[in-house]
Amino acid sequence: MFVWLEGTPVALWVSLSLWAYPLLLSVHIVGLAVVVGIFSIRDMRLLGLFRGLNPAAFLSLSKLAWVGFIINAISGLLLFTSQAVTFVGNVPFLLKISCIIAGMILAGIIQTRLRGELSSAGSNTVISRPTKMIAAVSLSLWTAAIITGRLIAYL
Amino acid sequence: MFQALASIALDSPLNQWIAATYWLWPVLEISHFIGLSLLLGGLLIIDLRLTGHFKSFSLEATHQLIPLVLIGFAINLLTGILFFYGDPASYSVNIGFQIKMVLVLLAGLNAMFYYWKLHPLIPIWEVNGETSLLARAVAYASLTLWFSVLLCGRLIAFLGTGYL
Repeated sequence: MFVWLEGTPVALWVSLSLWAYPLLLSVHIVGLAVVVGIFSIRDMRLLGLFRGLNPAAFLSLSKLAWVGFIINAISGLLLFTSQAVTFVGNVPFLLKISCIIAGMILAGIIQTRLRGELSSAGSNTVISRPTKMIAAVSLSLWTAAIITGRLIAYL
Repeated sequence: MFQALASIALDSPLNQWIAATYWLWPVLEISHFIGLSLLLGGLLIIDLRLTGHFKSFSLEATHQLIPLVLIGFAINLLTGILFFYGDPASYSVNIGFQIKMVLVLLAGLNAMFYYWKLHPLIPIWEVNGETSLLARAVAYASLTLWFSVLLCGRLIAFLGTGYL
């Protein structure tokens, strides 16, 4: 299946065009900055940093992070097609994808919990201990996604 | 100017150490990526708030992220200098790197202008949550410059005479 994928016109365009690969990588790093930037600051806020930032604003800000995620899912998929066989056997790549999937699931869980905690807390917002724990795991996952993503080229 | 810096770096002990330490380059790259996430993430929130989005953040509170932005910048300045020291001949003649450095300089000047001329006006803007037209222009310039820095940085490996 991955051999077939590498032979599709899209995959050939990505691997043979002079501009496609660098262009997709450039788009991919913009998405990375948006996704990891927003989610890591959200996690730090939930863990008690930047207390002036209203946690409720992250509910709408996460939509922007989702835009970044969709940009990177598309650019990432296109990059993947060009060397599909190599990537599926690359351990850092598989770890990276696992971290991202887990990070996005936690983003959904955090969103739901935060909405619930904010509506019940009123003006005095206290982030619950479980939510803080999830935020800590999420922050670690996004850091791990960057580390493993970079290591794809080396291992 | 970049060639002059390159001639200082070339064959220096630091240059030789970076070139000989096989694990260092990926570690620097990982740090550079984490730094850019902090830098861009913080600026994204500060600048989007200045342009009038996400008004449930108070203007003043978004500025609590400035230390985070500066930490991200410091990480990337340090790792960036080490990249340059590790391969000065490639970086100094690379058009992507040269444009990126000019853009970082412009972004820095833009930030200084904001901090000295506009930031003191926050208590006035905070009254009704609206900023000025100039503040919005400076915030959009900041986002445009930094995301261009990101693009140029990513393209370094594919441009100029560099072989990175």
